Amino acid sequence: MEEFEQVDILLVEDNPHDAELTIRGLSNQKLANNITWVKDGAEALDYVFRRNAYAGRSDNGPRLILLDLKMPRVNGIEVTRAVKSDERTKRIPIVIMTSSKEESDIIESYNLGANSYIVKPLDFESLAEVARQAGFYWLAINRVVS
Amino acid sequence: MSNPRSSIHRKLSYVVLAATFFALVITGTAMAFYDLRTFRETLIADLTAQADILGLAAAPALEFRDPESAQDYLALLEAKPNIIGAAIYAANGNLFASYPADKAADFPAIPDLDGHRVAGGTIGLFKRIATRHEILGTVYINARYDMLARLLGYLGIIGGVMALSLLTALGVSRKLQQSVTQPIAAITTVARHVMEKREFTQRAEKTTDDEIGLLVDAFNGMLGEIDHRTQILEQSNRDLEREVSERNRAETALRASDNRLRSLNAELEERVAARTAELQAANKDLEAFSYSVSHDLRAPIRAIMGFSTLLLEDHGPALDTEARRKLNVVMAEAGRMGHLIDDLLAFSRLGRKALDPTELDMQQLARTAFERLGQAGQGAGVDFRLGSLPRAKGDRSLFEQIWMNLVSNAIKFSANKESPVVEVGGITAEHEHVYFVRDNGAGFDPAYRDRLFGVFQRLHHDHEFPGTGVGLALVHRIVTRHGGRVWADGEVDRGATFHFTVPKETPDGGV
Repeated sequence: MEEFEQVDILLVEDNPHDAELTIRGLSNQKLANNITWVKDGAEALDYVFRRNAYAGRSDNGPRLILLDLKMPRVNGIEVTRAVKSDERTKRIPIVIMTSSKEESDIIESYNLGANSYIVKPLDFESLAEVARQAGFYWLAINRVVS
Repeated sequence: MSNPRSSIHRKLSYVVLAATFFALVITGTAMAFYDLRTFRETLIADLTAQADILGLAAAPALEFRDPESAQDYLALLEAKPNIIGAAIYAANGNLFASYPADKAADFPAIPDLDGHRVAGGTIGLFKRIATRHEILGTVYINARYDMLARLLGYLGIIGGVMALSLLTALGVSRKLQQSVTQPIAAITTVARHVMEKREFTQRAEKTTDDEIGLLVDAFNGMLGEIDHRTQILEQSNRDLEREVSERNRAETALRASDNRLRSLNAELEERVAARTAELQAANKDLEAFSYSVSHDLRAPIRAIMGFSTLLLEDHGPALDTEARRKLNVVMAEAGRMGHLIDDLLAFSRLGRKALDPTELDMQQLARTAFERLGQAGQGAGVDFRLGSLPRAKGDRSLFEQIWMNLVSNAIKFSANKESPVVEVGGITAEHEHVYFVRDNGAGFDPAYRDRLFGVFQRLHHDHEFPGTGVGLALVHRIVTRHGGRVWADGEVDRGATFHFTVPKETPDGGV
């Protein structure tokens, strides 16, 4: 496979501003070239399972999913359940990045197999730092595993 | 069933009559026996005397062989009607004279020895006629000896006497019976009445002082006793019946009130269920609300802060100082709003969080709070005086929150003092543990002490002491949920003391 075809991170985020800030935070770390952004859970599932608009995609991955919880159509919890219950995709690390500090969200995410749960910090520096650390950590782990 | 009265009456009559009868029979028999014997002996003596007289009278005639004069003497016997016949025999045994004279053939042919013979209702008696020297002849007298007639006559007399006696005895016994049976009959009547009517108030009349009188007394006494006991029994019966009816009434009332209670209970349960459903719905709304707030309210703030940062980063050089200052104000205020939202959500979550009570080392919690604040750069130069604190039971994370809030408040409000002092202590009262956190800081106006624990209520301006006004409200809520109380004392510039209590043991065993 070609190195540039590799998609490292799938960012699932309905809020374009949050997406932009996250991508900006990651791009500062030279990870932006390998990011794919989808706008909700349904699109994320289409992408991961190569359905509908993504039926013919030729690239590999993703190797990490950054996932918001509260989204229109299909929410992050449902995406986590679908990805983690499929034999082909269940080893892809999922990092939940959300505004919610609700205990029920945290517990359910971990129960479904999410690998990390990160509450988005309010300020940009912290957000960028968190995104960067999560990306590096889980990409590194995933390389070791594969 | 035989009539007891006639029965005893008859028995008494039998007794009297039988006694009379047997007495008469025995007496009559004895008298008849005696009389018949006397009659015979008298007859024999009489006949012997007649024979002697005849012998004396006939002796000369025999001596002189003069049968005619002898015959005359014999004829004198006509005066004696009971003498059937008589004869005089000569010494040689030949019949010398006879009476009646024409019936000579009816006499014995030869005289017998002295003595008498009884035969066929007659008695024959021979008697020698003798002088001093010789036997002159023999006299024979044959007399009627009618024993049967005499006996029959006797029996007739006895029968008459007996009949008379029995009649008399019957009359006497009648009279006697009246005095004996009448009192008994009176008792019997009363007894029968008592048996039939069950009336124990009746009394038999006492008419005599004998055994029957005693019996009447005993009977009356018995009746009195029975009457007394019956009354007691009836009284106790009435009491019992009253008790039973009272019980029934009480039971009915109880059942009614029970039913009422049950329906009230059911109604109450329905209302509780309805209210619970309402509350659950409200809670669900609240959860949805706070979930929404949690996600949606923070996103714009994050955008404001994030893009302000990007603006500064990407276009900083193009902005003048005043523009950068204003942008920084925007970012700071957005940050403050974020904190407000975070605190508000924490406060909201606290209301829904289930408590998990464990044994808590309160001294350790207070010390840890102070140390963590120190790591965050607070409390430098503060004289932290930690006394010994009683252990308590409560939710660990929530009490960590309490100590964190109170100690950080104390540090914050005493930070402007030259030598800030924060003192933490506690004692155990009868039913609760009491803890306090005291500082020598800015204090507060006691007039507003009630506002201290309200959400978003602040007694200081943000530029003096920054804060969201949620910390003490959280403390209040946590303490209240554990069944304790919280209050504060203080004066402006003289420091403040915050107290809170934890029950030793909550009634439901939890908190």
